[in-house]
Amino acid sequence: MSEARLTPEEIVEVFTREFGDGIREARITERREGSKKIANYNIWIDIDRDLFRPALEKLMEIHFPHLAVVSGSDLGDGLELLYHFTIYYGTRHGEYTVTFTVLLPKDDLRMPTITDLIPGALFTEREKQEMLGIEIVDIPDSRRLFLPEEFPEGVYPWRKDETGVPDHMVKDLWAVGRPANRPARPVVKKEEQGEVQAEGTTEAAVKGKKPSEEEEQRHE
Amino acid sequence: MNITKSFNRSLWAFHFNSGSCNGCEIEIVATLTPRYDPERFGIKLVGSPKHADLLLVTGPVVKKMRPRLLRVYEQIPDPKVVMCVGACGISGGPFYDSYNLDGPIDDVIPVDVYVPGCPPRPEGIIFGVVRALQKLERLQGELP
Amino acid sequence: MSDDTKKAVPYTVPIGPTHPALKEPVMFTFQMEGERILKADFAPGQAHRAIEWMGMRRNPVQIVHLTDRICGICGVSHTLSFARAVEQVMEIEVPERADYIRAIIAEFERIQSHILWAGVAAHELGYDTLLHLSWRVREFAMDVLELLTGNRVNYGIIQVGGVRRDITPDQHETIHNCLDYYSDLKAKLLQVFLEDKTIQMRCRDCGVLTHEEALKLCTVGPTARASGVKMDVRVDYPYAAYGDLEISPVLPDAYLGETRGDVYDRIVVRLLEVDQSVDLIRQCLDLIPAGDITWEAKIPKILSAFKKAHGEAIGRHEAPRGEVFHYVRMDGKEHPTTWKVKASSYSNLMSWIPMLEGEQIADIPIVVASIDPCLSCTDRVAIVRDGRRGIMTKEELTRLSVEKTRRLMR
Repeated sequence: MSEARLTPEEIVEVFTREFGDGIREARITERREGSKKIANYNIWIDIDRDLFRPALEKLMEIHFPHLAVVSGSDLGDGLELLYHFTIYYGTRHGEYTVTFTVLLPKDDLRMPTITDLIPGALFTEREKQEMLGIEIVDIPDSRRLFLPEEFPEGVYPWRKDETGVPDHMVKDLWAVGRPANRPARPVVKKEEQGEVQAEGTTEAAVKGKKPSEEEEQRHE
Repeated sequence: MNITKSFNRSLWAFHFNSGSCNGCEIEIVATLTPRYDPERFGIKLVGSPKHADLLLVTGPVVKKMRPRLLRVYEQIPDPKVVMCVGACGISGGPFYDSYNLDGPIDDVIPVDVYVPGCPPRPEGIIFGVVRALQKLERLQGELP
Repeated sequence: MSDDTKKAVPYTVPIGPTHPALKEPVMFTFQMEGERILKADFAPGQAHRAIEWMGMRRNPVQIVHLTDRICGICGVSHTLSFARAVEQVMEIEVPERADYIRAIIAEFERIQSHILWAGVAAHELGYDTLLHLSWRVREFAMDVLELLTGNRVNYGIIQVGGVRRDITPDQHETIHNCLDYYSDLKAKLLQVFLEDKTIQMRCRDCGVLTHEEALKLCTVGPTARASGVKMDVRVDYPYAAYGDLEISPVLPDAYLGETRGDVYDRIVVRLLEVDQSVDLIRQCLDLIPAGDITWEAKIPKILSAFKKAHGEAIGRHEAPRGEVFHYVRMDGKEHPTTWKVKASSYSNLMSWIPMLEGEQIADIPIVVASIDPCLSCTDRVAIVRDGRRGIMTKEELTRLSVEKTRRLMR
C-alpha cells in the first residue's frame, strides 16, 4: 500500500518477471462505459498450481487483495479454478481485478487452502469442494455449504462429465402437481369467433385463435 | 364455536419462506405497512404457527425446507387455510427445473388459495387473503 | 450437536433456518454461557435453488429474468452485473443512454433497499413505529420504480445490450418530486435514527467488526465501509454511468468524526447513502444523453450473437449490500459454459462470527440484521437447555430484544 500505484502493465510485469515460465498466459482487458468512457481494468494471469500461493503472497505485497470469489469451470479434461481478487480499492477509478487461473487435471483435483492468508476464503473454498469435487488441502472446515446433507456423494453440480447432476435428480416443477379436477375453461364457439374476426382487430383475432389450440391440447 | 358473529376472531397469518427470492417476502411486509394496512381488520403476521389460521407460503420448496414446511403445516391448528404466494410456489416459475427443489408447494402440502405474480402486488395479496378468509369461514362452519 | 446439548453450560441455541436471502438462508448454532454468546456457527443452504446450474442450461436472454430473481430486493444489481459480463464476452457496446438508465434504476433500488433495511433494524430493536414510518416513506420510491419499469419488484428492465424501457421526458417531474421528497426527509431520518437515545444505547459498540477483520473476511458494501474500509465499486471501478458522476464512498467518520465499526456506524452509512443515491440520480438526469436504449432490440439477433461469443469476463456492481460479482464464460453456444454468481451477502456472512461472539442473546436480531442479510433469519428459534428442547419463536426473541431496550431506558 505504501508504494506508488502500479499500472496494470506493471503488475503483469511484476508477475512475469518473478514467475517466468510458470505463467502460461497474462493479459489485460479493459472496458469503457458511460459518456466519458473511463476504463476499468481486468488482469488475467494463468499460472501453475504450485506457483499460485507464492503469486498470491506477491499480490499481497502490492496491496492487500479483496477476494471476491473463486469460480470454477469444467473444461472436459481438466478443471479450471479462477481466483478473482481486486486490488487498489479505495482509489477513485483505480481498482483492478486480478484473476489467477489455475488448471487442475481431473486425476489430481487438489488445491491448497488460502484461508491462512485470507480467512474470508473459507466460504468459497467449501463451495468449490461440494460443487466441483475439488479437494482443498488443509481446509479448516470441510462441511458442505449449500447442498443438503442427504445429497449423494460423488455428484458435483457444476461438473459436465459423468459426475454432474444425473437426469433423474432433476425435478421439472412445471410438470408436477397439475390439479386435474379443475373445471374446463370456457371455449369460444365457432360462430362467436366469426363475429370477433369480423370486427377485424388483430388482438381479437389472436384471442379467437387461442381457445381452439387449447382444445386440441386437452384432446391429447 | 362462535358466540356471535361479532365475536369472531381476527385472521392471523404465519409466513413461511421455502427458498424464495425475497421478492414475495418484501411485498408481504409491504402489504402490512401503513399504505395498505390490513391490520385495521385484525390481519397480522404472527411469529408462531401455533397461533395462526392462515399459512402464507412462498418459494419453490428447497429440499432442505420440505420437512420443515410439513412440520409448520402440522403445527397450525384446524381449521387452517394455506395460501401460496408467488409464481414459483405455484409452478416453479423461473425455477422450473432444478436438482435441489421439491416443489411446487401443492406437491408438499394442500394449498387453498393461489396468488400468482412474480411477486404479486400487495393488492393481489390482500385479495388472496379475502378469499382465504371466505374459505376459512366455510371450514369453521363445517366444524362440529 | 446432540452431544453438546447434554451439557448444562455452555448450552446450544440453534436459530433458523427460515431465512429469505437468496442462497444464504442460515441455520445458526450458538454456544451460550448465560446470556453471553461464546461461539457462533452457521450453515447456509436452505434456499439453494441451483440457479447457477439452471443458468448453464439456459441462454442469457432467459438468464436475465433468472438473475432478477436471485434476490428480490437487489434484483437489478445481479442483472446489471450479469448483463455487463455477457456484453464484454460478446464485445458489444451498450448505448450511453442505457448506461444512465441502468444507474438510475440501480440507485432507486438502493434507496428503497436502505429504507427497507432501516425499518427492519428498528423492528429488531422493538421500535415498530419506526418500522411503519420507514416503510411508508419507502413506498414513494416503489411508485417511481413501478412508473419507470412497470413492476414494484423484479423490474425486468435490463436486457443484454441495453435496457427494455426508456425514461420519457414526462416522467422527469415525478422522479424529481420523489427525489425532493427524500432530500427533505434526510434531516428527519437522521434525527429519528441517530439522535434517539435508545437506538444509541442498543447499537453503539454492539456487534463490532474491526477494520482488520473486515479486510480479512472479505466483507463488502456498507458493512465494510462502516468498519472504515474505503471500498465502493461505483467509485473505484468505473462502469455504467458511474464513471461520469461525482461520487465518493460514504464512511462513518465523515459524519461522526470516528469509526467504531459497530451497528450504529452501519445505520449511519446506510442512511447517508440514501442521500447519496438521490444526488446520483439528479446528476444522471442532468447528464443523460439522448439516443438508443439498446444495442439490438430483436431477441433472435441477440441469440445468434451469443453463438458467436467466445471468452470470459467479469461483471461487477455495487448492490445495496455491497459488491455483486458475476463471472461468465461462453464457448460459442447459446448458453454459458460457466456462470458464477457472487452475491454481496455471500461475502458478508462470515463477518457475523466476530460480530456476534461476546454479545448477548438479545442482541442477536439487531447484529444479524445489521449486515442487511435480507431480513428475518430468526423466524424460529429452538432453545436446547439441559437436553430439553423448547421452541422459541421470533416473537420471543424480539421480545427479549425489546425487554433489553426497556431495561436500558429505565
